[in-house]
Parts: sequence; structure tokens; C-alpha cells
Amino acid sequence: MSLHLMLQSLKRRKVVTALLLLQLTMTLALLLNAMMLASQTHASLNEPTGLALDNILQIQLKPTTPALRKYPALGDLLERQLAGVRTVPGVVAAAYSNQGPLLQGGNNGNVFKVGEQDRTNLSSVPMYFVSADFFRVLGLTLQNGELPVSPTLLDGPVQAPVVLTQHLAEQLFAGENPVGQAVNRGPVAAVVSNFYGQRTAEHVFNNVMQVAPLYGVDWGYSLLVRLDTGTAGTVRQQLEKVLREVDSNIEIFYVRSLAEQHHRLYRTEFGLAVLLTLLAGLMLLVTMISSYSNAHFHALKSQQEIGIKRALGASQAEIFIELLGESWLCTLFGAGFGVLVAVALNKLLATVIVIPAIPLWLPLLALAVLMCCVTLATWYPATIATRVSPATATKTL
Amino acid sequence: MEQFLYYLRASLVSIRRAPLPYALTVFIMALGLGVFFANATFYYRLNADPLPHKSDKLFFPMMLLVPWECNDSTCKPPPVLSYANVQKLSSSDIPTAKAAMYSSDAYLRLDTKQPPLPVSLRITQRDFFRMFDVPVLHGSIWPDDSARNEVILTEALAEKLFGHSDVVGKTLLLDDKPLTVSAVLQNWQMLPRLYDANNRNYTNAVEQIYLPLETGYDMNYLSNSQSSTFDDTDYRQLATQGRTGALHQLQYWVQLDTPAQQQAYRDFMHNLATTEQTAGRHPAVINNQLTALRDIVTYFGGESGDIKAFALVTLLFLLVCLLNASHLSLNRYLSNQYELSLRRALGASRWQLQQQMLVDVLMLTLFSLAGALLIGFGGVQLMNYLWPANRLFAGWDLLLLSGLLVLAWLSSYLVTLYPSLRASFGALNQQLKE
Repeated sequence: MSLHLMLQSLKRRKVVTALLLLQLTMTLALLLNAMMLASQTHASLNEPTGLALDNILQIQLKPTTPALRKYPALGDLLERQLAGVRTVPGVVAAAYSNQGPLLQGGNNGNVFKVGEQDRTNLSSVPMYFVSADFFRVLGLTLQNGELPVSPTLLDGPVQAPVVLTQHLAEQLFAGENPVGQAVNRGPVAAVVSNFYGQRTAEHVFNNVMQVAPLYGVDWGYSLLVRLDTGTAGTVRQQLEKVLREVDSNIEIFYVRSLAEQHHRLYRTEFGLAVLLTLLAGLMLLVTMISSYSNAHFHALKSQQEIGIKRALGASQAEIFIELLGESWLCTLFGAGFGVLVAVALNKLLATVIVIPAIPLWLPLLALAVLMCCVTLATWYPATIATRVSPATATKTL
Repeated sequence: MEQFLYYLRASLVSIRRAPLPYALTVFIMALGLGVFFANATFYYRLNADPLPHKSDKLFFPMMLLVPWECNDSTCKPPPVLSYANVQKLSSSDIPTAKAAMYSSDAYLRLDTKQPPLPVSLRITQRDFFRMFDVPVLHGSIWPDDSARNEVILTEALAEKLFGHSDVVGKTLLLDDKPLTVSAVLQNWQMLPRLYDANNRNYTNAVEQIYLPLETGYDMNYLSNSQSSTFDDTDYRQLATQGRTGALHQLQYWVQLDTPAQQQAYRDFMHNLATTEQTAGRHPAVINNQLTALRDIVTYFGGESGDIKAFALVTLLFLLVCLLNASHLSLNRYLSNQYELSLRRALGASRWQLQQQMLVDVLMLTLFSLAGALLIGFGGVQLMNYLWPANRLFAGWDLLLLSGLLVLAWLSSYLVTLYPSLRASFGALNQQLKE
């Protein structure tokens, strides 16, 4: 198998070869970027959240009458709903909250250490107004201090104590003991382990919680339910019925596991990754068709040449390898250009979406995939070419 | 006609002789066009101008009129305005029309025995309907911007509630408060819904109920899309504190028909900022924005990056498919070269061969168009499933379909042009020998 002869053969079919090269180039470019986006989405969906995603359900709801949206009727409704939910077999704990975790954005505000606003101010920190069981439901472990056990009014004469997540406490108090100190939202009562709050926040692990009555429910509220492992399906079926039996004047927007909620958080990226992967797959298919057609047509057109080679002593294996070799060579050239186009495409995509740069090892993996596809597509035409009989092929010479 | 039928028959004979390469060519063309078309549907509709005759005359004024200091030129005005700031901005008579607004949710019923029905609200002022060309079916729009216990319904909601659309004067309960229907709107949809563009809200449907702004504040309806409090205002006290404090939740639009009006309003905003600064109510640096309706999505940075990224990729995919189809087409024509050369030898002119090529193009266009429509439909369904927020933009119109037809024809022509030229030219004796 001579490299020079293979190059000559490709040069003889320069238009067809150029078309194939362009396809291979673009296929590799798209394949690389689809791989990048898919791996980024996969990494996001597997990032640590600090939450037992499969064992926590979130019910988002709102009273449908104005009377039920105000205290004391609202307080009574919440008590009755939580009591009802706790009777469902499989429920370990239940709590209310003005909002659930794992959101794009929601109720948030700035937090700073009292007296040091200029240095410590953090914006867009999610604020949770919750019942005392909230920490147990989310499985947050106490790091420091003591968790409040009874609700304190948010607009009462005394500021309600706050509970910070560990990451936020470190950002605000940098090595100091935060318990007993004050932030603008109230005195710090405790620090708990991190959990994923809101995606648009400065840091997803920054959260502030206050055990307090809900401040208002115009945007609805969440009931968070901790379950025994493996009971999510059965509990879920009963929750809606139980809540409607407690009081029918409610609208239930959804009942979701936190795993579903987490997946929804990256829905856009997931969608784009699926579409790009699908497109990359289609592009591979199109390239395989092209490689097949190219090799097949070439084999048919070169019957005489192959016949002469066979008559002069070339073995079937040599002919087979030569045809495959031409495809491999073409793929290698295409891949070389493809890497350059992939980098350009990556930069273009980065202007409209968040996509990481292509690591050095990825083009090799993409090349391996492309080589496999091209080999597969060329196999049959190359096999046909080896069957050319020297006698028949040279008859017309 | 006879000649055309002859070319058509010749084309069909050629397809039947080697159906697989032709089917592959059609499949690849349909695939490229279909995938491109599916995304182009969303791209075209998301970037459409819903009011082309006045999208350069409607403006959203924004000022950095907030109670905090900011001397950094990167500080942008809040994307929603407070009630007090809207009052200041609407004190000018320069605009032809002006309306403040926000969206909310409520529960509706005809009497207390009925279960409440969740509905979407737009709480706004009289000029909203004129500015955004909202068609009125029955009744009339409020005569002024004062509080009144009246609502305007969409035709679909009126029919759902009462069984018919002419319900002007009827009473209903909105969150248990009795209100009278003053008008019914013809079914309408503004896509994209640019009057509420922040946070990608422009992909939502228009609201079902319209309530006067003052009544909305009196009834303590909070915005369901974005509300920010920049001072100690209690957002639960919208009727009182919400009207005076720095609780920002309003969109505000003005209609400025001429460049002179636009300049005059800019001057008015600058004077207002200077006056407020002098009075100590504008501690931040002056940063006034007067953004036109057609630029509002870009201003808020809400352009659909995913659709744009996919548009780029589908364009590349279409290009690859066209290259591939050209490749297959070239092989097909080269295989048929003997026949074409024979025709030339028997006296067929190159023009006649090109006519044959045009009939081939027509056939390829029809087959690939049919395939592209099927694949495009599937692609739109898949994208609806993956990105449900864009589902309102999934429809096809005549312009879009005509675009696809032209693209399919152009693609087929390009795919067929080089192979047919190559097969029609060249040394005849050499071609006949091969």
C-alpha cells in the first residue's frame, strides 16, 4: 500500500474527494461540540446538591380564596395540611416553605454582616421562611449553633433568628464563629450543611432560612415531604387526594420529586444537548452514506485497474486494505481540518450559549468514532472490489 | 407539454434504473431541509415583529431613579418601574399614548358556589389597547385611568364562563370581589409578547383578563413575573406603601410617533433626572434608557441562545447534506453519462439536456419537499417537547412554507447543476468509449 498512489487516486477524483473532505470536516466539528455540550449537561445533572433528590417531594400550591391566603386562616390551613400529609404511610417528615430549593430564581435579597455592608454585601441570596421541620426534611446537618424550634414573626418587634448555609457563613464571616453575630436579616442562630438553592444566585449554596410564618402566599408556597426510600410512587399518588380532603379551596400546581426539579433546572441545556447529539448522529449517518457511495462508485469505476493489480499479483487483502486506506486517509485529512472548524464553531457557539472549550483529548476520541463509522461504511464496497476477477476485468483491454 | 412529459418519463426511467442512490439523495436532502426548517420555524417566529407599523414608535423608558448610590457607569436602570416613578414619567404630554402595566394571577368565578378558576391578569391602563392594537369585540375600553370595578375579558374566556361572548354588563367575582365586564376582546395573540419582555416573558401567551392599574393596586395584586423592593416597603401593602415606596414591578410604554417627539421625551427624561438629583431623590448617576419595542428583547438580553446555537448548527447540517446530495448526484450522473453522451451524439443540444436537468430538479424538489415537511413536523414536535416554553411559536404560515419551497428548489438546483453540467460537457468520443 503506497501513500503516494493513494494520494494520486484521491487527486484523480478531486471534486468527489473535496466534497467528502468538507463533510468529514463539518461532521467532526459538530461531533466535538455536541460531545462538549452533552458532557457539560451530564456534569451539571450530576453536580452535588446536598439533597436526597429521590426521597424528597415538593408540592407547590396556593389557596384559591382570599380569606385562606391571610393569617390566621392560613396558619390553620398549613397546620391541617402538614398533619394530613404526615398521616400518609412512607412520610418521614413534612414542612412548609415560601419556596423550594433547586430553582432558577425566586424570593431572594441581599445579605451582609451588620456594620460591614461595604465589605460583606452579597446580593441575590435566596430567603426561605419555613417551619421547624424544614431542616429535617432536607436532611441538612447542623454544623454550628442551635436550630430554632418555634416560629418568630418576620414583622414582629424582635428580628427572627437566621440559619445560614455553611458556604454563606464562610463568605460572610471568614473564619469567625457566626453564631451570635448578626446579619441584616437577623441574629445568626445556626449554620447548616450546604444545599442547592437558586441557579441565578451568586453562589448556588448561599441560602438564608428563618423559622417563621409565611410572609405572604401571593406566589403560592411549597410543602416539602421527606419519604422512606422507595415509597415515592405510592406517596405521590395519595398526596393530592389527602390535601384536597383537608381543604378543597386550593390549586395544586405540581407534585415533583427534587430529582425532577433538578432535571428541569437544566432543561434548556438538556434539550440542546439532545438535539446536537441527535444531529451529530445524523451527520455521522450522512457521512457514512457518503463514504459508502464514494467507495462503491470508485470500486465500480476502477474494476479494470483492480483487475490489472490482481493479475500482477496483488492479493485480495491488499486490494481491501488499499480501498480502506483511501477512506482512512481522507478521514484523517478531514479530521485535521475538522479540529480547526470545531474550535471556530466552539467560539461561535460560546457567543450565544455557555459551552466550555474543547479539551485536547476529545478530538482523538471523535476521530476514533469517525474512523469506525467510515470503516464500517467502506467495508462492503471494499469487499466487492476484492471479488473482481483479473481475467474478467482485463478482458476489454 | 409533450416535451415536458417526455423529460418527465426519461427522469422516471433514470430513477427506476438506480432507485437506491436516488432515494438516498432525496432522503439526505429532506433530512437537511427538514431539520433546518424545524429550527427556522422557531427562529423566524421568535424574532418576528408583531407590530411592524409601530414597533419603532413604541418605547420603554427606564431611569436609574432608585434610592441607592451608584456612580459606576455599568449600573443599569431596573427593568421594572415603581408606581411613583411611573407617575413622574407619565407627567409629560409629549407621548401620543402611554400605559403602565404588569401581570398577575387570580381566581375567577361567577358566584361563590362555583369552584374558582385560575386566570392570568394584565393590570394596565386605557391606552394599552390602542398602543398594542388589541381588537375589541363587544363593549368599550375604560374612558380614563381611574380605579373602577370593571374588567375586560378575552372572547375565549367569556365563552368559557358564560357560554357566549356578548357579556358586557355582566358581573363576576375576581378573588371574590364583584366586578362588571366592560368589554370583550376578540381572540388575539401577540407573538412574541413584547410588551412584557423581561425574563423571557415574551414567549408567554397574552392574558385572559384586563384590570385597571389603580384597581389592581387597590386589590393588592403583586406581579407574578418580577417585583423588587429597594427600601422597607411592605409588598403586602401594595394599595398604600406600594404607591409611594421603591417597589418596582411595572412595565411602562409610551408612543412617540415622530423623531421630534422622541427627542423631546429624551429631553424630558433628562430634565426629570436632573430635577430629582437636585432634590436628593436620584443619588445614582444619570442613566436614562428609551428602548424601542423592536429592540426590547435584545436590551433585556433575553434572546434565545439555544435556538440561535441550534440555528447555526442546522445551517451547517444543511450544508453537509447538500454536499452529500451533490456527491450522490454526481455519481448518479456519471453513471448515466453514456446515455447522456448518446443523446448528444444523436443530436440533442446542450440546452435540451439542461431542460432534462430542470425536470430532474423539479422531481427532486417535490420529493425532498414532501420529506422535509414530514421531518420538519417531527422536528418541531421534538423541539416542543424539549423546550416547551417556546411551544406557542411552533406554527407554520404561508410565508414560512413559501420560504421552504424556494429553499428546496434552490437546493435541488444547486445539487443537480454541477453534475449535469459535467455530464453534458466534455469530449463526446471519449465519453462514448467509456
